[in-house]
Amino acid sequence: MIRDILVYPDQRLRTVAKPVEKVDDSIRILADDMLETMYDAPGIGLAATQINVHKRVLVIDLSEEQNDPLVFINPEYEVLDGEPEEMQEGCLSIPGYYEKITRVAHVRVKALDRNGEPFEKDLTGLMAVCLQHEVDHLDGKLFVDYLSSLKRGRIRKKLEKQLRQES
Amino acid sequence: MSLPDRRAQAARVIYAVSAQGRSLTQLMPPLLADCDPATRGQLQDWCFGSCRWYHRLEGELKQRMRKPLGKDQGLIKALLILGLYQLRHTRIAPHAAIHETVAAARTLGAPGLTGLVNGILRGADRDGEPTPATDAMTTSHPEWMLGKLKGNYPEQWQSIAQNNNGHPPMTLRVNRRHLTREQALEQLAQEEIDASPCPWAPQGIQLARPVPVDQLPGFFSGHYSVQDEAAQLCTTLLQVEPGQRVLDACAAPGGKTGAILESQPELAELVALDQDASRLEQVQENLDRIGQFATLKAADARDTDSWWDGMPFQRILLDAPCSGTGVMRRHPDIKLLRRETDIKALADLQLELLQQCWRTLATGGRLVYATCSVFPQENSRIISRFVNLQLDAELELIDADWGQDTGYGRQLLPQQNGHDGFFYASLRKNPAAQI
Repeated sequence: MIRDILVYPDQRLRTVAKPVEKVDDSIRILADDMLETMYDAPGIGLAATQINVHKRVLVIDLSEEQNDPLVFINPEYEVLDGEPEEMQEGCLSIPGYYEKITRVAHVRVKALDRNGEPFEKDLTGLMAVCLQHEVDHLDGKLFVDYLSSLKRGRIRKKLEKQLRQES
Repeated sequence: MSLPDRRAQAARVIYAVSAQGRSLTQLMPPLLADCDPATRGQLQDWCFGSCRWYHRLEGELKQRMRKPLGKDQGLIKALLILGLYQLRHTRIAPHAAIHETVAAARTLGAPGLTGLVNGILRGADRDGEPTPATDAMTTSHPEWMLGKLKGNYPEQWQSIAQNNNGHPPMTLRVNRRHLTREQALEQLAQEEIDASPCPWAPQGIQLARPVPVDQLPGFFSGHYSVQDEAAQLCTTLLQVEPGQRVLDACAAPGGKTGAILESQPELAELVALDQDASRLEQVQENLDRIGQFATLKAADARDTDSWWDGMPFQRILLDAPCSGTGVMRRHPDIKLLRRETDIKALADLQLELLQQCWRTLATGGRLVYATCSVFPQENSRIISRFVNLQLDAELELIDADWGQDTGYGRQLLPQQNGHDGFFYASLRKNPAAQI
């Protein structure tokens, strides 16, 4: 089922998500809904926070064909080397805005898969950037937090205006 | 996380080139700098490939449209060209290409035209590519340009047109101040970069596959420059000698300036001119990287009063502004940007440049005229007009086994897996003729 995506500056995006205690069917359904929502948007990553579910679950699929879904439950990452990676990022909760954000290029993530099995993966490039972006969501952070307050304010005002016009 | 819609970005580029006359050289660097590395190559291929095959794809598009798109739908036309490019020339699964291209129509602010985009691309996928109606469409050249090629090269136009659509090799010039070509080949082999010596340029190395320059050992300390083999031949022809004062009359971006300086460590001076001050910065960057020095002046070479101190040059390289029709595989947008009327205007400019530069050449000195054009109008005819007017100018025979003799200079045509299209003529200044 496609769920609604919260849009900045919705305060619910600032909620810090709680760890998943048990990977059961309800979590698997959540992950499936998140993938469906992400593919529909379309995006390459989505955190549960963005559909107003405050559990530490995120999904990523970088493939053009949308056939390489990855589910990360309770993800934690460590920085493998501090080499910065600058990339233009957008966010499904901040539609229409793309900004250059600097992150680290190489991380090691530990998480549970959709069956509750732990796994570990070294990530580089876009994959590493996307994971950091989504984990930020689970901590209540957004990419606009890395911008100047001037830029952030401008984006917030424009999105608030759009919201007023739609309602 | 989401990424910018790359197809929408590519469509904007194709539109800017085809409808607004902007070049890929201007448009691509800022776009690629912002792009995630994983999709950078794809974005580049979409923009370059759509320009390379534009005329052929546009022909197909016309056949598929019941009525032409409105004048205000240029962006959607560009997107349809990109859609057809993906179907005809990439390995992207057709359903994905179509789906994403339709989504890009929405991003481009044309939600009402998604049905049209979808219908045309689905039809194109189902029916396959139709037989192009004309030679110009088959070879994806503008009519006037192919007409000129046919007229000037009745035997060779097909292979020229075909090679214009190929992918050019990446060719390096080894800096002889740092290492020999043999050492360079060994060094590249150690890095597992597949490379072979160029047949004609003595410092040239051709790579089997392009690599990013930062993977070339010593690139940033000037061991290598990226330069086509044909362009490297300028030093073979100039034969600069110690103590000479040399002019590079249209220097930017500085590839040949660097080649001349590397070829002779004991020049008295090299003066590099370019009309465009911002492009001279590129020359400076190039020289800094290879550790060379030249006197840079922002000036129009024709206006000798503004830049020439009256001291003659023993050697002049005049790499004249031209149609670029010999390097269209590197700059496929040339097929969209050039107009037939440009050629006459360029020829006038080329002759004037030659006449003005000639005044600054020392008696006994040599001027090498070069272009990256394949049209005789910009090449042999400029030289024949010039030597017939200028009594102290003597055409030197270029004794070489590359290219073909035109009677007034040597023409190189773009080669598959080889050098670009190029033209060279070598002129010597005789003591003033007695009339």
